[in-house]
Amino acid sequence: MNLLKTQREALLGPLQAVTGIIERRHTLPILSNVLLSRTDTHIEFVATDIEIEITTSMTIEGPGETKKLTVGARKLVDILRALPEGSEVTLALQDKRLQVKSGKSRFNLQTLSAEDFPRLVLAEASATSLSVPQKLLKALLGLVQYAMAQQDIRYYLNGLLMVVEEGQLKLVATDGHRLAYASREVGGKNLPKQEVILPRKTIIELSKLLEDSDDSVAIELSSAQAKFKFGNVVLVSKLVDGKFPDYGRVIPQNHPKKLKLERIALLQALQRAAILTSDKFRGVRWVLGDGSLKISCSNTEQEEAQEELDVPYKGETLDIGFNVGYLVDVLNNLDVAEVECGLGDANSSALFTLPGRNDFKYVVMPMRI
Amino acid sequence: MPESPRRIIHVDMDAFYASVEQRDYPELRGRPVAVGGPAESRGVVAAASYEARAFGVRSAIPMARALRLCPELVIVRPDFARYRAVSQQVMAILRSCTALVEPLSLDEAYLDVTDNLWGEPLASNVAKKLKALIRGQLNLSASAGVAPNKFLAKIASGWKKPDGLTVIAPERVEEFLRELPVEALSGVGPVTAKKLRAIGIERLLDVRAAEDERLHRAVGSQAGWLKSLSRGEDPRPVEPDRQRKSLSDENTYEKDLTDLEQIRGEIERIARRTAEGLAKRKLRARTVTIKVRYADFTTVTRSHTGIAPTCDAAQIAARALALLERTEAARRPVRLLGVGAHGLLEEGESLPVPGSLPF
Repeated sequence: MNLLKTQREALLGPLQAVTGIIERRHTLPILSNVLLSRTDTHIEFVATDIEIEITTSMTIEGPGETKKLTVGARKLVDILRALPEGSEVTLALQDKRLQVKSGKSRFNLQTLSAEDFPRLVLAEASATSLSVPQKLLKALLGLVQYAMAQQDIRYYLNGLLMVVEEGQLKLVATDGHRLAYASREVGGKNLPKQEVILPRKTIIELSKLLEDSDDSVAIELSSAQAKFKFGNVVLVSKLVDGKFPDYGRVIPQNHPKKLKLERIALLQALQRAAILTSDKFRGVRWVLGDGSLKISCSNTEQEEAQEELDVPYKGETLDIGFNVGYLVDVLNNLDVAEVECGLGDANSSALFTLPGRNDFKYVVMPMRI
Repeated sequence: MPESPRRIIHVDMDAFYASVEQRDYPELRGRPVAVGGPAESRGVVAAASYEARAFGVRSAIPMARALRLCPELVIVRPDFARYRAVSQQVMAILRSCTALVEPLSLDEAYLDVTDNLWGEPLASNVAKKLKALIRGQLNLSASAGVAPNKFLAKIASGWKKPDGLTVIAPERVEEFLRELPVEALSGVGPVTAKKLRAIGIERLLDVRAAEDERLHRAVGSQAGWLKSLSRGEDPRPVEPDRQRKSLSDENTYEKDLTDLEQIRGEIERIARRTAEGLAKRKLRARTVTIKVRYADFTTVTRSHTGIAPTCDAAQIAARALALLERTEAARRPVRLLGVGAHGLLEEGESLPVPGSLPF
């Protein structure tokens, strides 16, 4: 029984969009499979890791019956990728095996029953729904996601806080040593306030799948689930249960020392200096004095790098250390010409913002070098 | 034929950090000094001078308690860079006698002086000369223990302190062992000691008399090791290049474990034991690894590297338990569990750590 006949590329797109979340190691063999579900007019692809479920669909022409099956996702993708570009591909079901045909190539893959494929139970009511351009959400994610923790025992930091409040969409990520905050007006002042923590993997997948387009993404947040619908993709994710730290408390308010810095010049100086930090020792020293910011790094072999930037600063000298990676991260992920940096003393956090705006904040703790 | 006995010396600097401070800052001499973090920030005592010890101030107690014991205590912030430099001078003196020097920490080392560069046949003379050199060149005092093996040498150096020298000649080993409580055995911490007391073993000699099986039931795989120590036997060589890269501990179970709560309990117990091992060696680890061997002998490891190095038992246990969730333990029966610590830093070895946000 034929499931579909189409171009290799038309199939690869929706298939690869779902298979990114499949874990290499898992407990249930069926989790390495992708669910193919054929209806009269569509074919749907579904993959899951039990926490996240992604569905894509493509419309199909030509006759077909309703049919569901699951098949090893990685093998199917590998086969399609290995076929010549532009080739025509037929998928057919024969004796519980999926046959992939293209030109003179034939592949017979074993299937597992679609009945056994674990689906996420969809939340009944969605408390808050809003719709924003895909490029807005993608850009917002890019501004904060690098600050998420990885495998922290404070599991709620291994994700990103999404807040809908007073017509704004706010995202916050932190690993306990630095914190990134970004917000945008999204309208709908009457939307009920909602706060959810999205798992790290959901965020990474979402930013991969979102496009730089004006097409919208529909966001639905409930107390246990988040759903993102855009293009031909539906991504449903469980939430991280836990209390995210009160981010407002750690954003410093009135730093006495303020300076504007050219983003690219600062980034390049830091990247050059960072060559002479060892893996273990990622420290960079800033010495801020009248008119200049001196940046230096050294490693365990006592090699030293020094950089100096002219800055419009007048005041007390400050000698402070940072993890250079934390500074490079934020500068890399902004696309503005200038950043503003607020500093207190050598033990207080530094605050990076965008001149004249209050919709981005990056707080980074210093380190003693 | 028994081998001819080795001559091992354990050198232990007396109240090392505190003595370096008193040496370098004359105003501290004769006063009770504790090196460590301030009481307000919940610091602990890293080292106490002998004047402070007279008040009951010991290393590892909270500074706040130390201050209650001795209100005139002078608290000095540790300067590990300086202690390391002095330690290197001490080790250089030891190496002038033999290349077989195994530093245990900044202030302790084993030496095998059976054949030494000085051609001195009497180990007690070697120890005397080392102490004199340390005193003469560095103006610091050390205690030394001389014995046929590491285990006995270490006990001997602690016998008389400060500025002590204790020699256990091979023919006096037996007499010496009679005096010792079980805690003297290396590897016997408070937990094991309690287990041994529970089966009526109070003194080291009782270990020797205990039936193998009974001992094994009480302390598991440690039994054989403890038994040979109780006979005064310790074949471990002095290893000059030994630098710990990792520390780990594992347990094989007679019956496969299938209960998740029990497995979690075991992981926690092993993690805490590993942390104890770190603390005892004054090491901190950045990476925690767990090892799970399933009943079919397939083995998986999971690891996590944190930013700040630690030897805190609760933290290491929590990280090990979090790693356990990334295995199939319990869903698949488990025959072996292990916890390891890697990325080790010695005391005073600094690793710049970014500050934490004040959530």
